[in-house]
Amino acid sequence: MSSEIKVAIVGQPNVGKSSIINALSNAKLHVGNFSGVTVEKKEVYLKRDDYDIKMTDLPGIYALNAYTPEEQVAKDFLINEDYDVVVNVVDANTLSRNLIFTMQLLDMHKKTILVINMIDEVEKKGGLLNKHKLEELLGIPIVLTSAKENRGVEEIVTQIIKLYNAPLAKNKIYYNEKVELRVEELAKILRKSPHFKSPDYSRFLAIRLLDRDEDVYKMIHDLPIFIEAHNALEKMYKELESEFDEESTTDILANERAAISYNLQMEALDMEEDDESLSEKLDNFLIHPIFGLPIFLFFMWALFQLTFVLGNYPMNVIANIFGETSSFLADFLPKGIFNSVLTQGILPAVGAIIMFLPNILVLFLGLNLLEQTGYMSRAAYLMDGFLKRFGLQGKAFVPLVSGFGCTVPAYMAARTLKNPKDRIITMLVLGFMSCGARLPIYVLLVSAFFINSNPGNMLFYIYIGGAFLGLVVAKILRTVLFKGEPEPFVMEMPPYRFPSFKALGMDLWIKTKMFLQKAGTFIAIAAMVIWFLSSYPVNDTIVQNYNTKIEQTVDTSKKESLKMS
Amino acid sequence: MKTISDLKIDEEAIVQKILAKEPVKGRLLSMGIVKGAKVKVVAHTLARQTWDILSNNTKVALREEEAHSIAVKGLHE
Repeated sequence: MSSEIKVAIVGQPNVGKSSIINALSNAKLHVGNFSGVTVEKKEVYLKRDDYDIKMTDLPGIYALNAYTPEEQVAKDFLINEDYDVVVNVVDANTLSRNLIFTMQLLDMHKKTILVINMIDEVEKKGGLLNKHKLEELLGIPIVLTSAKENRGVEEIVTQIIKLYNAPLAKNKIYYNEKVELRVEELAKILRKSPHFKSPDYSRFLAIRLLDRDEDVYKMIHDLPIFIEAHNALEKMYKELESEFDEESTTDILANERAAISYNLQMEALDMEEDDESLSEKLDNFLIHPIFGLPIFLFFMWALFQLTFVLGNYPMNVIANIFGETSSFLADFLPKGIFNSVLTQGILPAVGAIIMFLPNILVLFLGLNLLEQTGYMSRAAYLMDGFLKRFGLQGKAFVPLVSGFGCTVPAYMAARTLKNPKDRIITMLVLGFMSCGARLPIYVLLVSAFFINSNPGNMLFYIYIGGAFLGLVVAKILRTVLFKGEPEPFVMEMPPYRFPSFKALGMDLWIKTKMFLQKAGTFIAIAAMVIWFLSSYPVNDTIVQNYNTKIEQTVDTSKKESLKMS
Repeated sequence: MKTISDLKIDEEAIVQKILAKEPVKGRLLSMGIVKGAKVKVVAHTLARQTWDILSNNTKVALREEEAHSIAVKGLHE
């Protein structure tokens, strides 16, 4: 008998959640979508001893006060779905900030494991984390990991199984007495409703309500206890806000959590304050007020040059292989329909697409590299002032650039923009960002019309021209259709990191697989249909009819046009 | 009132109050920019339109409007 353990993996963005998942051995990865939304859902299946472990990797989330659609998905999952264990991944370098979110998770009082990742980076700087002390203070098991050095990753699985079989430990994190008093009072009201009988669940919802969580407020809105809860809540807001001299109870809870997190870090982590780190040194140069932009443009130019020049070699090889194969098969196979559809329909069409796989992969690799090293957010920082003039914001830069790779993930990346107007403008102009699949056509045009110029440069101009047109359209859309201010711009700039080759390789492999699957199925079928339509129907009477007409016509031009039809 | 947008590059200060409205406020709070946190201006663009600030080991990019909505006081005030 094996039993299934359902695990939710959750953490703030840029804590290395995906590299931990990639580091798990013998894991089966399944990539899909959360139902109803185009937010990527990664599920990992593991088998250990007698347990089937199903891990759901939730999108990165800064806090339960959801801000982006991704965060909303993660929040809905945490509140509504059924799971046994929460694995909260945090970055050791920014422990106290990450713990603010951990506090919110602990409010739920579910079986939780804290995974402190990138511990090697802290240790290298001479920092020392007292794991047992932090476990004692938080009341949950802690695993120290470094996905890069493959350290501690298997221990996560061991802890999941151990925690699954252990009884739920007592909650150790409590807020200020004045806050706890109201939480208990409100929870008591909630428990009158049959939906919220559980003491943990009602306490969690009470905290969320005091945190002015609109989603939870909607949950109780249609219940009989609503009036009582609402009145109590209004009174508590007023009392707490005057007792703490704050504008909103949200601030009170945020300050509480920040203070607890800060104290936890002070107790458990012995770390010197950073001198100028490598990241800062790099930033002095890469986001320099004057040199930053030219450097960025150089990177973009280099990426497109690489795509074209580097991609060219395997391209010729693939073209030759397909050409040789189809001419060999044309001679080898018996003449007939099958021969014709294969060597004149399917093989040339599929070959023409696969030929561009190297170019597309180089482009994807480049974009991935920019993302993983942390440069992408610097690019957004540099571009914000410029994009703002066109009614867009710096973060729109990421989907716009991803649009050069493939428009589909670019639409998904546009979801990081919270403001619906910003999002729709960005999505509408994404079409102007030439995606990888258009590369074949551009290459054809460039080699047909600009034989004497540097093809890499011409390609760069086409791409830039399209992008510029897109920006103009964005400005027009902003002034005519979607009036209003662009979304506020608050974005984390993660430290520069050396990219993980495993993660890069994984991602490229998934992309290649998807591309080849489509080339092998959709494109092959479409090629077959086109071949069929251009060859059939062979109706002897009509052929005969036309031949007679052609013979009878005297006018030569009419003769030609009849031949065509 | 002094805000982040009044600081010079490399100048440090203590956050006194977040004047921004939700949802910007919530985002700032979750990034650790709360009352009492130490912040340092790392860089800003030439036109001072975009700001890069460091707090709790986290670098955050902000626009001038958002930088202007974080009230601060000097380290020794």
